Amino acid sequence: MNYFLFIITSAYSDLMRNKARTFLTTLGIVIGVASVVLLQAFGLGLKAYIQGQFDSLGTNLIFVLPGSMFRSGSSGFSPGSIGTLISFDEKDLNNLKRASYAETVVPSTMKSSKVDAQGKNEYATVYGTSEEIFPTRNLELSNGIFFSKSDVNKRAKVAVIGSKIAEKIFGQSEFALDQKINVDKISFKIIGVLKSKGGGGFGGPDFDNYIYIPYKTAFLVNDKKSFSNFIIKSVSSERISDLKNETDKILLKRYKEDDFSVAESKEILNTVESIFAMLNMVLIAIGAVSLVVGGIGIMNIMYVSVTERIREIGIRRAMGALEKDILFQFLSESILLSLLGGVLGLLLSFLIVLILRIFFPAYIDLNSMLMAIFVSSAIGVGFGVFPARSAAKLLPIEAIRYE
Amino acid sequence: MIKISHVNKQYVLDADNIFHALTDVSIEIKDKEFVSIIGQSGSGKSTLMHIIGLLDKPTSGQVIVNDQDVSKLDDDKISLLRNDFVGFVFQQFNLINKLTVLENVMLPSIYSRKKLDFNPLEKANELLKRFGLEEKIKSYPNKLSGGQQQRVAIARALIMGPKLILADEPTGNLDSKSGEIVLSLIRDLNHKEKITVIVVTHDMNVAKQAGRIIKIKDGKIEK
Repeated sequence: MNYFLFIITSAYSDLMRNKARTFLTTLGIVIGVASVVLLQAFGLGLKAYIQGQFDSLGTNLIFVLPGSMFRSGSSGFSPGSIGTLISFDEKDLNNLKRASYAETVVPSTMKSSKVDAQGKNEYATVYGTSEEIFPTRNLELSNGIFFSKSDVNKRAKVAVIGSKIAEKIFGQSEFALDQKINVDKISFKIIGVLKSKGGGGFGGPDFDNYIYIPYKTAFLVNDKKSFSNFIIKSVSSERISDLKNETDKILLKRYKEDDFSVAESKEILNTVESIFAMLNMVLIAIGAVSLVVGGIGIMNIMYVSVTERIREIGIRRAMGALEKDILFQFLSESILLSLLGGVLGLLLSFLIVLILRIFFPAYIDLNSMLMAIFVSSAIGVGFGVFPARSAAKLLPIEAIRYE
Repeated sequence: MIKISHVNKQYVLDADNIFHALTDVSIEIKDKEFVSIIGQSGSGKSTLMHIIGLLDKPTSGQVIVNDQDVSKLDDDKISLLRNDFVGFVFQQFNLINKLTVLENVMLPSIYSRKKLDFNPLEKANELLKRFGLEEKIKSYPNKLSGGQQQRVAIARALIMGPKLILADEPTGNLDSKSGEIVLSLIRDLNHKEKITVIVVTHDMNVAKQAGRIIKIKDGKIEK
């Protein structure tokens, strides 16, 4: 009989002889692998979700933000990135509009406010901006019209609102048109209702809950008359880096380098993703602790198994088994044990992800599968090698006389 | 074929208490000989058998098995020599209960590193048939009688075609009828197949089957 086949089949039949014990021992690995794979699946789902959100913002965009957090080359949070942030004003807007590679420069001032209409109170994000926001962000109307440049200039009290806030207050989005809505004690006329953009619900921006108003109107209640950021659309995708340099140069005339960031959506995405990836790593590390605990369980049971079979080891040695034959026999048993746990853990996480997908776009990729298999085999080796060595090092004569 | 010169074996029980299992033992066993080693329990006969069978090492002295000085061999080489050269028959049978009779008989061939000139499966079947156990090949050892188990053990001892059969009280756990059958099998191995046989026993009736009797008492060979 083939040597390897013999070793593997006898390891398998030894494990199956004690099914309850085998199952309980693998349980630690099952839980460990499942938690690590699930956390990874969450991380991947979250990444895909954020990606989707950014894609829906529009393309060829760069963002001008206060603080240095999203500055290229910055590694996410740094001491300079937190603290008092500057705010931009109309002078910046006019300066930026002179950039030759800028197609549109959209200012924004954002504020979460309680709004009311028809006696109902709701929270919404009030977004003071220019008429160029609509093409820049690919926003589409379901009813009515966008506000215009002249609406901005004459401080018109008009609003274009998201589908969700429209439904919340008016029941159906088409009923919102031409109605009045009060924001910061100013009454606005709703001239447009947007199509749903999706999103929100996981702490991300919920664009459907936005109320867009002309920024000059917003300045009526904004004492500082300031913007929180600019969105600039490049004339073409090839010109994005030129546009970034231009923007940087313009702003450096007024601000210090660490006061602001000019970033592509890709860079913002990367920063956000790297923060989530770090959080995810921490969670996975915590999950990995249970893998270690599972490994210790395997080690423990392997020591028991060695003690139970000292005489058998002695007989095998007397029949000519080498130390490494015994080592391999016990090692293949512990690997099989933890691999079984790994596969079961993987199946369990598949099942859980299948259910979770109803609520959250989690998914398991090939990498996590391969890692689960690899890590569980490695645990089998790592935690099995000491018991297996203790078995291999038994003296034949003492083992065969063991009662 | 086997030459043991001035072998001592001591066990340190505690700091000032050393047990001398063997003291200055020298014996030589020639090819195709049938030798019995007789002694009371505690006489050191099992220790001697374990040293001859390469299961144990002497504290001092020289052991030459198959023209090789055992003290110069590492554990792997000793294991392979044991696998190839010696067939064991134990008083306790020492079969592995979770393996079938057939698997038990084939076990030494699994651990062999040399190219076998026989098919282990065929040879195991053949041996079991010869010992009247062809109906039991799929059985597990603990379902067999003592006499049957010992015959399985003899089949296992023979699978590698050893030059030496070492039997330690082979009839010790058997009734007289089964003991007689096992003993005649072992005798045949020497007489018909010309395999060197060493039987370790405390029983003179068993010992006198052999061509030569070596008496051992308190760890020393009696002349």
